[in-house]
Amino acid sequence: MCARKASANVVAKAVEPALPAEEAAARAYAHDRDLTSHHFSLDEHPIVRIEHLNKTFDGHTQVLRDVNLDVWPGEVVVVLGPSGSGKSTMLRCINLLETPTAGHILLKDKELTGLSASELSKLRQDIGMVFQGFNLFPHLTAKENVMIGQTKVLKKSKEEAEAEAIKQLTDVGLADRADFKPAQLSGGQQQRVAIARAVAMHPDVMLFDEPTSALDPELVRGVLDVMRDLAENSGMTMIVVTHEMGFAREVADRVVFMEGGVVVEQGKPDDVFDHPQNERTAAFLGNIE
Amino acid sequence: MARLLAAFAVALACVAGMGVAFAAPTEAFALSTNKATARPNEDGGDGVIGGIETRLTWEGTVGGDEEVSSVTLELADGGNFDGSTTRVTVLDGLTRIDIDSEVSTDGNLLKVKFADPIPANSLLRIVVEGMTFPAAGGEQVVSGSYETSGGESHALDDSNAIDTISNTPLQQAVAWLDANPAVQAWNSNRFLGMFLKPQLILTSLSSLFPGWVLCLGIVCAAYPFAILLGLAFSLMKLSRHKIVRAIAITYINLLRGTPLFLQIYIAFFGLPMVGINISNNLLGICVMAINSSAYLAEIFRAGIQSIPQGQYEAAASIGMSRMQTMFSIILPQTVRRVIPTVTSDFITSYKDTSLLSSVGVMELMMFAKNATSVSGNITPYVTAAIFYLIITLPLIKVVGIIERRIERSERGAGPRPVAGQDAGSATDELEAAGASHAEAIERTGLGAGTLEPAFAEEGGVADVR
Repeated sequence: MCARKASANVVAKAVEPALPAEEAAARAYAHDRDLTSHHFSLDEHPIVRIEHLNKTFDGHTQVLRDVNLDVWPGEVVVVLGPSGSGKSTMLRCINLLETPTAGHILLKDKELTGLSASELSKLRQDIGMVFQGFNLFPHLTAKENVMIGQTKVLKKSKEEAEAEAIKQLTDVGLADRADFKPAQLSGGQQQRVAIARAVAMHPDVMLFDEPTSALDPELVRGVLDVMRDLAENSGMTMIVVTHEMGFAREVADRVVFMEGGVVVEQGKPDDVFDHPQNERTAAFLGNIE
Repeated sequence: MARLLAAFAVALACVAGMGVAFAAPTEAFALSTNKATARPNEDGGDGVIGGIETRLTWEGTVGGDEEVSSVTLELADGGNFDGSTTRVTVLDGLTRIDIDSEVSTDGNLLKVKFADPIPANSLLRIVVEGMTFPAAGGEQVVSGSYETSGGESHALDDSNAIDTISNTPLQQAVAWLDANPAVQAWNSNRFLGMFLKPQLILTSLSSLFPGWVLCLGIVCAAYPFAILLGLAFSLMKLSRHKIVRAIAITYINLLRGTPLFLQIYIAFFGLPMVGINISNNLLGICVMAINSSAYLAEIFRAGIQSIPQGQYEAAASIGMSRMQTMFSIILPQTVRRVIPTVTSDFITSYKDTSLLSSVGVMELMMFAKNATSVSGNITPYVTAAIFYLIITLPLIKVVGIIERRIERSERGAGPRPVAGQDAGSATDELEAAGASHAEAIERTGLGAGTLEPAFAEEGGVADVR
């Protein structure tokens, strides 16, 4: 019953076109102004727009229900929530690793939803992604992992790509591991290579899907340090799904709390952590601590 | 069988020779040489090999005006009568004459001395068992001399030339085996002599060799095509287009669902009937390639599907197209995974070339079949088995090694860099130390990338060392 109603809902939403850029930007500005510690101006547009995003698996399991979120250039958004809250699915919908059932994803006011596979792969290079399971290419060395996107997608020369790879690996502290294969690296090192691989494409936004969840506690710090450096020194726009509360509080401009496929609460980290408005947020944060 | 035929031919020739001798009584006035023949002594063949014992049959007719008291046969240098046994037959007309004779040998000379001179016009046949021709081979002529009862000595006409084969080390070895009492004892055992006759193992190793080369040639020529075809059909089977997929599935299922033997028959008997004539070997290569490609397609498909989804996602996330992902990311990893299975399939294909013998391709089984029917002994089949095993056993070993290596690297126990080995930071040391633990977490399925660090790269390990 419920499922049928939900999918009827979905169809209705799918028909609605995305908002015009100016209108969306103005609306987002008004909405987000007090929810983030990131500074942005009225004439800026959100870099990522998620509008009325719905995702249903197997035709009946609804994972995301009408999610709306705008991310501003240079903003660090940390998405929190219990397992199964749909936060990873939302992240994977942004670069269309999951196809939204309904709704719109826009990158720099350009709609990604409904694009052909080839158009999509062109735009995906502007969205870096770091996976929970690293997903390094095991047959390539750390350096080659960072190089392959540049040579194959950006069509850079081998020399250019190599120089860039060495620079990125140096930034994540792994210059001396450049010629190691992933299997010879620890999980933390692998994840740092994966970050270097994504950053080397100079994306407009980086998505982090629980980047430290598969790591031993003592390996987490190195990865978080790299992410913090990326946020603070490179001004990278980041959307981070994580369970690292410390990182969220210190680095995030905005914390988004999701549960049951909806955004329950969002705001500046201190506001959300110290004065959660929603009782489910409070319960979740209470459990974590 | 061939030997029997040869012997029969010799006998016929003798009879014919005699017939000629009797039909047209020669007006010769000397002992004339009719014919000299030698018994084939090639194992599994009908050649006369020098340096190995054989039987020489020499025939001559005594002239009409003389009686012969002794005959000396002479071979070229290197020929040897020593140790031979000689049977002398004298026929006068159709009656056999009993005359005692004394035979003496001296290297390449054999002298038959008659107690009483043999009469004019009689036919003399000397059969020397256990003589040898020169090891060098070539055309051999029996010459010599004779003495008449009057004490005159005359030279004998040269006989017809006997074609002999030079004695190779192989034939010498066979001769040595023939004479070896241990080998004789071995061969006297019914089973050993039938299945593992040393002489035949030796000779068939050489006579089956061209067949083995053809077997290898066929499978090695077929396999690259099989791999390309198999790859194409595996990708087709994974295609998003229903029709492309259906074509691949039909191709694969038809070929995997019918025996290779049947496919060979259809190709070899069917194609000529519609006017397509391809040489046997080439057609054999085609059939083997097409048959293997179906199996390889399934192997590749399974290999491609065993690559975790995360690899596709990671490739997509850096903007790689489907084609780029397939050829730069997925296939290189697939290759490594399917090497053991593909090697096993290669072994199967190599063995299955034997089926081509049924349609007249001169491969190993064909040669073995021939050698067996010539020798009446099963040993050539055993030799063929040796030829198959020369290739298959090492490959089976290789498959085992690769499988163990993959299994080891999937367990994540591959060699790791020594912590802090080269200017590693404190964090690196810590991480390296914690690496095995992290691995354990992944193994238990907590990590999404369980499969991804699976392939410890041997090449990379070498770099570390």
